[in-house]
Amino acid sequence: MQSKYKIGKSIHRIGLFRGNLLLAAFLLALLAATADTLPGALLLWLAAGWLGITASLLEFSHRRPAMLPWQLLPGLLLTGLLWTEPDRYPLWLWAWAVLIMLPQPRWLITLTALLALLSGWSLLTWLPWDQAMLSGLVLIGLMALGLARQYGLQHLHGQARQRMRLIPELRLWPREQLESDLVRERSRAQREEVHAELLLLRTKRHQLWALARQLCTLTRRFESCYRIDGRTLAALLISQDAGQAASRRQRLLHSLGSSTKCRAVPLPHVESLSEECHGLVSQHESLLVVGDTAHA
Amino acid sequence: MALYPSMKASSSSVTPPMRDPRTWSRTLHALAYLAGALLLVTHALWLYLMGYYASILLPTLLAPMMLLAALLRLGHKDHARVSALLVLACGYLLIAMELPRLSLPAPLWVGMPPVLTLLLLPLGPATLVNILSTPLWLWLGNGLQELDLTLGYLTLVVVASLAPREALRQQALLKATAPHDPECPALNRQTLHDRLYSECERALHLQQRLAVVMIHLPQLDMAGEQFGRAARQALLDSLCREVARRCRDHDLLGRESQADFWLVLSDTSENGALMVCQRLEEALHRTILLETGPVECRLATSLLQPQETTERFEQRLVASTHRLAET
Repeated sequence: MQSKYKIGKSIHRIGLFRGNLLLAAFLLALLAATADTLPGALLLWLAAGWLGITASLLEFSHRRPAMLPWQLLPGLLLTGLLWTEPDRYPLWLWAWAVLIMLPQPRWLITLTALLALLSGWSLLTWLPWDQAMLSGLVLIGLMALGLARQYGLQHLHGQARQRMRLIPELRLWPREQLESDLVRERSRAQREEVHAELLLLRTKRHQLWALARQLCTLTRRFESCYRIDGRTLAALLISQDAGQAASRRQRLLHSLGSSTKCRAVPLPHVESLSEECHGLVSQHESLLVVGDTAHA
Repeated sequence: MALYPSMKASSSSVTPPMRDPRTWSRTLHALAYLAGALLLVTHALWLYLMGYYASILLPTLLAPMMLLAALLRLGHKDHARVSALLVLACGYLLIAMELPRLSLPAPLWVGMPPVLTLLLLPLGPATLVNILSTPLWLWLGNGLQELDLTLGYLTLVVVASLAPREALRQQALLKATAPHDPECPALNRQTLHDRLYSECERALHLQQRLAVVMIHLPQLDMAGEQFGRAARQALLDSLCREVARRCRDHDLLGRESQADFWLVLSDTSENGALMVCQRLEEALHRTILLETGPVECRLATSLLQPQETTERFEQRLVASTHRLAET
């Protein structure tokens, strides 16, 4: 299929990216090994290590959101390097222009610009002021180009971000999608006279993604799964009636294992998503079915 | 049987067009080029005041080129590539002429050309140009004798190329995971087929019926060729708007190919589907667009038969969509 082909190509690109990251880490390590002073060597080793770790963690999914401000780390490393040894590594001044090219939140762009200004200031210690002025102005121009490039790449971001799958080809959606799906599914279930319920699962942080994959494979194709936050998952389960829903839930939870806390709420009983999430955190039972307690 | 209210309370799938970040990108590019031209003029003036008359010629010649690049980027027809190449040539020339004269400190300025390349060209060509031009810059900056400078230069080039690669990765990921068509709020083809499978499974599981309305817009290609993108967009928008207005919240509109759309109606009988067809056709005929006139459309319905597999149903839908487009 065409889409499969596209994803295959992207995964191939990820391999290329990983190679590029490892090469960069290797070169940085070489540079660190030849450094004269301790702070420079330390910063370069840190950067090399960070790139190496990134290479091993890289994957083709939204698991680590792009808007997380990780861009701050290279920014701080760069500032440190230019501030402690401006005469040894002046070349790296230009790296600011590519750093600002990455999609990042607005406050971080401002911060990056400020840090760049600070490291531009450090040039004054070894350059005559007219030369420093010239390079500073050229850097500002280059940073504007980097920002322009970022905006050019950005037209897919924005609203689409809230509606997309978190991992290609897996039915795992973000929380924003659940909020609109709840309303839609409630009216649909009412019209079609079927039983729909919201299942919330709370687990340990490091188990979340494994559990999400398991949940996606165990639910039916027309039932969507959602990631609420770092510890909570949700699924919309659809069955013909309440009895079937109960036995199905039992089977599902049995195969998911016992390390989770669950809350099942039939859609007509759902007040709001955040209230149900609060309820899940504060409940003491490992499984609470909201409709049942209302009857009892 | 499903009821179809003629008005729908919410139409979350239709959103007003947001402000295009690409216009921002264009303005910023042009501003940066303009600033570059201004910088060159100032530099020339400075050289004049300091009495370096021999070096004045280059910046004076390059400043109008930068100005031209800015105008090309802003002009009615976008010449992004040409203006980027012009600016790149200016930057290269300036650094190449100034480096050997030692008027610019080599350890600083030798890093500027590869970064400029990465900023102006797409990643592939930029990498190629950077690899090919490496000996030139190192030779001009006397870096061949200094191992430190060579190593620093190479590291900068490799590290800097990580940023556009990460941006590309994010973009490819967004394309692979975005459920919507880039041109309109309908689902894209992959998501449409995916959702068709899940709706079929749901219909089977809950013993419900499932109908699909196929919609072909014969004017779409012609509108794009004759009247441009805006006319094409207007057609797409009016279809999505009418569908959103006349169908239930959970009915799925997806784009099967350029001018073909499928409307997946869950728990709907043949009569219900025909009724939707009729209402939609009437509504679209009543919609009169500025350039193309009344919106023309061809519609057909298809029902999931009992004991029919989803693959078979999908094939049947594809075949009837072809027939619809050819008649």
